[in-house]
Amino acid sequence: MHIPDGLISPQTYLPALALAAPLWVMAARSVRARMGDEMLPRLAVFTALAFLLSTLMLPLPGGTSGHLVGVGLLALVFGPWIAFLAYTLVLLLQALVVGAGGITSLPVNALALGFVGGWCTWGLYRLLRGWGETMAVAVATWLGVMTAALLLALVLGLQPVIAHGPDGTPLFFPFGPAVTLPALLVPHAFIAAGEAALTVLVFRHARRRRWVETAT
Amino acid sequence: MKHRVALWSWLAAVVATTLVHAPMVLGAALVLALLASGRGRVRLLWRATRMVAPVLLLLSAGYGMLAWWQGRPVVDYLVLLNLRVVLLALLTAWAVRDIDLDRALAPYPVARRWFAIVRSQVTVFRRLATEYRAAVLSRSTVPPTLRQRYRAGAALGLAALDKAVYNSEALTQGMRSRGALDD
Repeated sequence: MHIPDGLISPQTYLPALALAAPLWVMAARSVRARMGDEMLPRLAVFTALAFLLSTLMLPLPGGTSGHLVGVGLLALVFGPWIAFLAYTLVLLLQALVVGAGGITSLPVNALALGFVGGWCTWGLYRLLRGWGETMAVAVATWLGVMTAALLLALVLGLQPVIAHGPDGTPLFFPFGPAVTLPALLVPHAFIAAGEAALTVLVFRHARRRRWVETAT
Repeated sequence: MKHRVALWSWLAAVVATTLVHAPMVLGAALVLALLASGRGRVRLLWRATRMVAPVLLLLSAGYGMLAWWQGRPVVDYLVLLNLRVVLLALLTAWAVRDIDLDRALAPYPVARRWFAIVRSQVTVFRRLATEYRAAVLSRSTVPPTLRQRYRAGAALGLAALDKAVYNSEALTQGMRSRGALDD
């Protein structure tokens, strides 16, 4: 669902970069503190899995694209800080290797998908654990994806207000929230359901294999 | 050195493109980038355009209809949007084709290592998925139902995950024993 280059203004991505940069530093510290020889290969594999899931793209009317994300799985297995950093790497790889997504939109995408999506899934899972693991993982993943989609829809929908010419003509993304919200949220309600099912499957497998790190 | 300069130049060009709102300047930059990209420029432009075409078509059609219905001018904005997005896609496709990330990231060993590890895992995953899919197909005499496909896909996905983790552990131990993870 990430935003490609050219649709968001510098007035949006520069503040987003200023916000994301210290969070990346904090996440890097968390990774450094917890990284061991057992965790490194698993993190590499799960990051690669998230990369592959997010390369299967479907263009959506809101000017973005729909695909599985994989950040919820990363957050549940490794914790939200590591998930944030790993997902940033996924977005970077997509921009630099595949040419998908974008480098100017990276901070916005990383914050919405990696940070908010990851923390939301992880926090909700901890909150809902009393419902049983399967239900908690499914609901937390679904809501994590939907929250990230909501945030991206709002960022896109605010572009005509943030960046426009003297005559009011938009300079970047042209549609307001009335278009972006349904355009992103409706298809993502189904995409998030698929992602929830996949996350339940892989998370249960990771539990059985004792790959799940104690999330902090 | 050449690749590092190219990487930073690409980053600067991408940011600069988002600061320009004059279609003439963006058009000139697009032509210049195309000329400077060397041999295979038509294929590069095709690749870049194909990448952004679905989004641009949806946005242009949507905005065109809305502006026409509201009686607002439509051409200027559509030219600006399409030129900017195609130029950005062209710059990125050019960078993807010509910049060797491994060399460009040489002064940043941690970043280089992470890129190498994750890229290798992506390759391993793709190969495993292809191998497992081929194995299933070779053992199936009749086309599987949708339910069977899902069940097989889940089982194969988890088997590929196990194998990928095993491969990655072996790779990490190899890197550790050679001192590649010591810094």
